[in-house]
Amino acid sequence: MKRTLAAATAAALLAASFPAPALDIGGLINKAIDTGSKLKEANRDFSQDEEVQLGDNIAATLLGGWPLSKDANLQRYVNRVGRWVALQSERPDLPWTFGVIDAQTVNAFAMPGGTVLVSRGLIDKLGNESELAGALAHEIAHVVLKHQLSAIRSSANADVWASVGQQAAGERIARTGGGYIAHVGEGALANLAIDSVKNGVFLRPLDRSMEYQADRMGVILATRAGYDPYGLAGVLEVLGTMQGDGSGIDIMETHPAPSDRLAELEKLMPAVEGYANQPRLEGRFLQVVGRK
Amino acid sequence: MRMLRFLLALLVLVLPVAALAQDQAFTNRDTELKQRADAGSGTVASLRADTAVKVLARAGAWTQVQAEGKTGFVRVFHLRFPATVEGSSSSSSSGSNPFAALGGLIGGNKPDERAKLASTGVRGLSKEDVKNANPDAQALAKMQSYRAGKPEAQRFAREGKLAEKRVDDPEAKAGR
Repeated sequence: MKRTLAAATAAALLAASFPAPALDIGGLINKAIDTGSKLKEANRDFSQDEEVQLGDNIAATLLGGWPLSKDANLQRYVNRVGRWVALQSERPDLPWTFGVIDAQTVNAFAMPGGTVLVSRGLIDKLGNESELAGALAHEIAHVVLKHQLSAIRSSANADVWASVGQQAAGERIARTGGGYIAHVGEGALANLAIDSVKNGVFLRPLDRSMEYQADRMGVILATRAGYDPYGLAGVLEVLGTMQGDGSGIDIMETHPAPSDRLAELEKLMPAVEGYANQPRLEGRFLQVVGRK
Repeated sequence: MRMLRFLLALLVLVLPVAALAQDQAFTNRDTELKQRADAGSGTVASLRADTAVKVLARAGAWTQVQAEGKTGFVRVFHLRFPATVEGSSSSSSSGSNPFAALGGLIGGNKPDERAKLASTGVRGLSKEDVKNANPDAQALAKMQSYRAGKPEAQRFAREGKLAEKRVDDPEAKAGR
């Protein structure tokens, strides 16, 4: 009681010593509510539709700067391998899309909602389909585990992030027949996508623990798909014997060192050792990539 | 004498390049060089940890290497690789990287200069290309036109004799 009185007195003294606008209680309350709703929006889960739209917008932004390979045969092949592996995951029905970027830099990128970009430079380093499956499976695991989404969430501008939720409510009403409408280049999700690309979160390394987790899940997914479980280890071996290109987004600069990843992966391998004689499909791979 | 000096100079020039060869690896423990990619095959040589090997070919769980003048197979997990990002030290914690300090020998010292030198024909990716890019809805639609449906993926798997397996994920997060 004494404390309440003291607080009230202090408040009265403060009120007396500040000009009125500084104690705009209504404004403060509104601001608090606003902050509260933003916090709520920031912590809510994305719906699958929102995740897909965000991924589409990020992909469209990246494709605005990085050219898609014109090799239609290769694009279809990578999509078949990728979809087959993704069917082994707990999110088999996402609109999985795999795109080959025409660049020598070695890397691959996963976007929320099931879009995976892989550079021609990475494909050129690989020796068989089980290695491609291993690389794609690692990216698929990132999508399944929503790693990029959580990285975007933690680095996004709070206002941009909150606007996604505010707009989503309106869009749900506008949607017809439950069909998915892509809003590329406009709207709150597009802003969040562009924000993510511009602030670089999309091109920065994820937590090491996320990479190791994606490696482990990747091996499981590729093994379920019937491939030699050592495909991803082969990819890491390739990375281990190459030089980064110093571009800042080369795979050597956005991932833990290959030897560290191999050391982590070794712990999992006894679980899949029995599948080591599954196909690697070298012939089919080399034919499509034009090395046979 | 002059010839010897020339040869020595040549050696000094050539050594770092040879050491930086892209097929270089080291054993990360005492291991065996096997005749075939099979633990049951004969042992060609016993290799001590940190033996330098030359990687010849990848063969799933095994890697064909040349070590101490002999050729054979070593388990992939028994190797560590000196991968580096040029001009900076490797972030590897699984062993010191003897070549990291030499990274600057390839290409220039500026990252963009190195990126240019490292790319062959097709250029590399750059952050700047996308930071100011406008979303390309057409390219997105083009990429999505290559999607494979479930039946197509299943047919493709059958053609490759890929049989689905029930494999439990120890972390139970990939479980169907």
